[in-house]
This record gives sequence, structure tokens and C-alpha cells, in this order.
Amino acid sequence: MDEKTNFSFETRAVGNVQVMALAGRFDAYTVEKARGWLEEATADVPAHIVVNLRDVTFVDSTALAALVQGMKRSRQRDGDLRLCQLQQKVRLIFELTRLDRAFEIYTGEDEAIQAFAH
Amino acid sequence: MNQTDTIKLEVPAKHKYLNVVGACITSILERMEDIAESATVAYGVELAVHETCTNIVEHAYAGISGLIHMSITIEQSPKRLVIELKDNGRSFDPAKVPEPNLEESQVNGYGLFLMHQLMDRVDYYPQSGQNRWYLVKNLESRIAS
Repeated sequence: MDEKTNFSFETRAVGNVQVMALAGRFDAYTVEKARGWLEEATADVPAHIVVNLRDVTFVDSTALAALVQGMKRSRQRDGDLRLCQLQQKVRLIFELTRLDRAFEIYTGEDEAIQAFAH
Repeated sequence: MNQTDTIKLEVPAKHKYLNVVGACITSILERMEDIAESATVAYGVELAVHETCTNIVEHAYAGISGLIHMSITIEQSPKRLVIELKDNGRSFDPAKVPEPNLEESQVNGYGLFLMHQLMDRVDYYPQSGQNRWYLVKNLESRIAS
């Protein structure tokens, strides 16, 4: 965790799936790193992305925009951006905007990764 | 008792400091007794006020330095939070902001919509030299079992 921003960002590859695990406040101040990584990751074909939000405590509309942009770009490249392990309070912004219907949301990271095999 | 308390906060209009606003609201609600689902309410109010401040940073000041003046009033009868935010930046016409189409996933355009969804009242008073947001959240008391 970067103590200055109260946000952390880790990425890894599992087979042909790119995983980004975030922690802390995901908002207009911290979004830039994640947005940049998503732009690069969604340049691949197919763009298989999993964003793990297990340790994310807050999501604002700017962070949401980065995720939607990533989802749209990955779907244009025969892939998808899937979310997993959302805290209940973080689900609120997805539910109000009905983006919980647009994203594929999984309870576990392994489940989200394995879903790309089907 | 019908006591009203007000807490005032002045923060630079920068994304960097908006976590301070959120922490303030959460801390106030933590100490309010007998509020139903206080953690959920606190998160929703924090998000609504955060979106208001983001609007001020990005549209009212738009890269120019300035301040956000916030006052949070806790009213007891009826129990509610009244939050006023003032800025000295450019004003805008909320009527010209289109509502998001919820049948399609949009990248932008959810900020004002979220504020209205999360609060019971959202008013905006554009004034020359000082714009004012007036937000109200009604707080339901926890029903004693």
C-alpha cells in the first residue's frame, strides 16, 4: 500500500489472463495508474482482463469510467474485463448505475480467470 | 432535545484532498446514535459529497486553484444531515446535463445522477462569484427490538 495515496496496484499474468488487483480508495486521485495499465492490457487480442477489487474500499465515478472504458476496449478485442470480490458497499455504485448488469462479476478470482477458458 | 450541530471544513479544490471530506462525513455518522444502517448511509453520503466535490474541482475550477467551503449540519428533529458546499468557480446549468442511459454502459455522465440517487435533496444555486450546493440526507432511526 502506498501510504501517500492509500491505494495499491498489483498486476500479474495467469496464462493469457491479465489480472489487476487493487486496494484502498479507487478514485479520481488514484485512477491514473490503473487507467494506463488497462489501456496497455486491452491492446492485446484477445484482451482477457480480471480486476480484483477485494481490498478496494471506495469507488467513485471516475474510477468506474476507467473500468467501463477497459470493458468496452477489451470486448472490441475479442475479450472481456471481468470483476471479482467486490465488497458489499462498493457494489452500490455498480447497482445504482446498473453497471452490475454490464460487467461480469465473480465472487472469486480463480472463478473469474477460469471463466475465460469456456 | 432538538440540538443542531454544524461542522465546517475548507479544503483546496484538488482531488488529492477529497478523502478528507469522506473521512469527515464517515466520522460524524459513526458517532450518531440510533441510525439505521449507518455504515451504508455513511458510504452513500460520502460518495454523493465526493461526486459533488469532483464536479467542483473539474468543472467549477477546471484546473484553477480554489477552495471548497463545506458545512455539515446535523439536525435532530427530523433527524437529517444538511450539507452545503460553496465554490467561487464557474457555474453551470444542471438542466443541460443529460441523464445517463441506464440501458447502455456509459463511460462518463454518472456523477450528477449518483448525487440525486444517494441524497434525498440536491439543489444547486449558481451565483456570480459563489455557487452553492445544498444536499440533504434524511436519517431513519433504528427501530428498537
